[in-house]
Amino acid sequence: MATESEGEEDAATAAGKLTGIPQLSVEDDLREMANKAAWSVSSCKPGNGVLSLRDDNLDTYWQSDGAQPHLVNIQFQKKVKLQLLVLYVDFKLDESYTPSKISIRAGDGFHNLKEIKTVELVKPVGWVHISLSGTDPRETFIHTFMLQLAVLSNHLNGRDTHIRQIKVYGPRPNPVPRQPFHFTSPEFITYSCLR
Amino acid sequence: MPQSRYLFAISCFQMNLLREAEAALSPANEPNSEVPNGAAGHYLLGLIYRYTSRRSSAVDHFTQALSIDPLLWAAYEELCILGAVGGASDYFSDVAASRIQQQYLSESSSHKISIGDEDRSIQSSRVLGLNDSSPKQPKNLHSNSIKEISNTHVVMAAGQAANSGSSNLSLYNTPSPVASQLSGIAPPPLCRNGFFNAVSCDGSSKPAANAAILAPRRKAMEEGRLRKVSGRLFSDSGPRRSTRLSGEATAGINSNASQAGGGTGTNHSSSSRFLGGFSSSSSKTSSAAFRTMTGRKGPSCISESFDEGRRKTEVFGDSCGEDASATMSSVAIFVDCRYLEEDKINLHAGGLSVHDSKLINGIRELLGLLRTLGEGYRFSCMHRSQEALEVYQKLSQNQYNTGWVLSQIGKAHFEMVDYFEAARFFDLARRVSPYSLEGMDIYSTILYHLKEEMKLSYLAQELISTDRLAPQAWCAMGNCYSLQKDHETALKNFQRAVHLDSRFAYAHTLSGHEYVALEDFENGIKCYQRALQVDERHYNSWYGLGVIYLRQEKFQFAEHHFRRAFFINPRSSVLMCYLGMSLHSLRRNEEALEMIEKAILADPKNPLPLYQKANILLSLERYDEALMNLDQLKECAPQETSVYALMGKIYKKLNMHEKAMFYFGLALDLKPPATDVAIIKSAMEKLYLPDEMGDSL
Repeated sequence: MATESEGEEDAATAAGKLTGIPQLSVEDDLREMANKAAWSVSSCKPGNGVLSLRDDNLDTYWQSDGAQPHLVNIQFQKKVKLQLLVLYVDFKLDESYTPSKISIRAGDGFHNLKEIKTVELVKPVGWVHISLSGTDPRETFIHTFMLQLAVLSNHLNGRDTHIRQIKVYGPRPNPVPRQPFHFTSPEFITYSCLR
Repeated sequence: MPQSRYLFAISCFQMNLLREAEAALSPANEPNSEVPNGAAGHYLLGLIYRYTSRRSSAVDHFTQALSIDPLLWAAYEELCILGAVGGASDYFSDVAASRIQQQYLSESSSHKISIGDEDRSIQSSRVLGLNDSSPKQPKNLHSNSIKEISNTHVVMAAGQAANSGSSNLSLYNTPSPVASQLSGIAPPPLCRNGFFNAVSCDGSSKPAANAAILAPRRKAMEEGRLRKVSGRLFSDSGPRRSTRLSGEATAGINSNASQAGGGTGTNHSSSSRFLGGFSSSSSKTSSAAFRTMTGRKGPSCISESFDEGRRKTEVFGDSCGEDASATMSSVAIFVDCRYLEEDKINLHAGGLSVHDSKLINGIRELLGLLRTLGEGYRFSCMHRSQEALEVYQKLSQNQYNTGWVLSQIGKAHFEMVDYFEAARFFDLARRVSPYSLEGMDIYSTILYHLKEEMKLSYLAQELISTDRLAPQAWCAMGNCYSLQKDHETALKNFQRAVHLDSRFAYAHTLSGHEYVALEDFENGIKCYQRALQVDERHYNSWYGLGVIYLRQEKFQFAEHHFRRAFFINPRSSVLMCYLGMSLHSLRRNEEALEMIEKAILADPKNPLPLYQKANILLSLERYDEALMNLDQLKECAPQETSVYALMGKIYKKLNMHEKAMFYFGLALDLKPPATDVAIIKSAMEKLYLPDEMGDSL
């Protein structure tokens, strides 16, 4: 499927080791973007398919069933701005199924995905927040048609992986159309639209 | 026969089988047959035409209804909504007065005789529904009410018919708020001759209540059982209003004519009755229970003046009383009874002439009041809010301080985008009549605009507990969630409101707004169009459509829709602003500036037009003027990041780099959202580079 691209230079800026936190904490000015996206996985065990990734139920999980790397593909209908990727994994429950090294790629389609981030997880329990921004303030968001999450290796060298939930966040659109900036003060917001 | 046709038509209307209903009322193969039930029939037919988009026929029928029975306020309201009203004085004129008078006098003579019979028939009906499916807000929450409504009229009509030839009147639901609400008190089926009827009352109406009714209105209140009912009652729309209003009106008259018993001008009943009721209630004051009227009533005497003449009894079986608990929901029945007190009867017998003159006075006063209220309502429907406010000022203190009037005033302020005043008036209205649901959806929108989360959620909770089946309550709840940016739940709530009443345009509009917030433009467009189908003059939906097209960059469409909205409500500065914005996108900058100027004049407190003006001037490269405007804005909204960001952008264009940096820094200090931060920071970096094509900033 997807060709693994080198992108070593990007990997160099990869985040350090992540452990995950029990609470999902996302800023207010972000919203979940992938409700209308097309989700697919490289392989799955019957009964633990891609739906379990989006069902808001932390008890159901996706289990892969093939060779590594295991892939989760998210395709949007138009180019979107994304800022944050969050996934729920649990080392205590899944042990050797817990992913350990994850690579995030983005691009227009399967043919030109480029790695933008690599993270390493260390016995994570809970929500793992992976920011997609670069260091440059201009790169707070990535504009892309497609996002691919590749599980390169698991804890304890497990073959297959379990992921319980994945969410993707991006900025909210400006409620007032065609404005260069958002309105922040109450005086402006009150008068900015009709209802 | 005609009554059964009318009943059939009402039932069909309730079930949304408009074609059958129309066929029943005016069969195709008998083009000249008279519409059954006179004014009420015309009113129902008008409603059918309205909902099937045949506006001119609808207007025709409403006008006819009003000419047959000038006190049918519901028909007048519909005319206003359709935007086809010339002037209130046309309808509530002296001609009308003489007509009412005639009806009255003719009735009174036959009244005495038929009292006995009528009572019986009336009694049986007991349920009185409101005047046909209150069009706008059918609160037919319960099947009961529906039944009642259908039954009532017919029955009443039957009763009436015997009595007086063309008494259209019976169909009015002259709800006496008093009656309805208050539960206990309620006068459940206060039949006309409450007294006599006491015996005959059976079933739901509490016989005992009858006698006691007069006096114990108040007591009933205490029971407060009808709380729920009252909510429902209030939510009732127009038709009730007529009676209510007449009631109110008569209140004043009441005092004059009460003793006389017939004094209450308007035929519909209620007037006197109401008044009586009102008075009692007023004393109670809790006012809560009563809708508008009560508060105002003032301490008039309880002796309800009843007028024998009145026939129309719409007896509304009130749920109050024993039944009440059982049939709480159905309630909304107002009993318009003329119940006469014994002495009244005596009086009546003796003083016909006295009665007559009082009658005439009463009618005149009532019409005067209706004229004022009508003018005010007409102006506010045409969105000439300033004039509407002036007209309402002319009302007497008592009338002014009623829930209905106060919420109309609040609505007028809302249309002028004066949210603080509007909120204040709605608050007053709620205090005067806490169980009234009408107009509360607008109040919730106002609180949404003012970002008052606490008040909004409190309001929503109260409304839902008052009446779980009212669309306004769910609209308020949805607004609450929307304020917290939980658009999916808000959408669910609005959809519930739509299910409860698909003829409630605002619920559709609000769902449209939520879809847009979720970026689902297709569904948003559908919702707005549905709202427009229900009410073409709902400018919020036109505005919503304009916003969608603006986002999709279909500027021509956007401009067209904003213009339609502006045409309907020419006083809203926000609309003018948006119209200006769409003109600017079409590159018709001169017109855009003109429109923005108008917006600035219309509402100096609104910062948006100034900001837009600066934006437009920037694109026209008139930097200094733009900066002037922004400076002005800085004064009134010092915490607004977009102002500083825009200033920075202008200084950058002017190559005044230090100032640009300064303002960008200011903007960043105020913590704008992430997108803006990105834009501003990248602008800062590129500060010393020449501007690229377009406005990358």
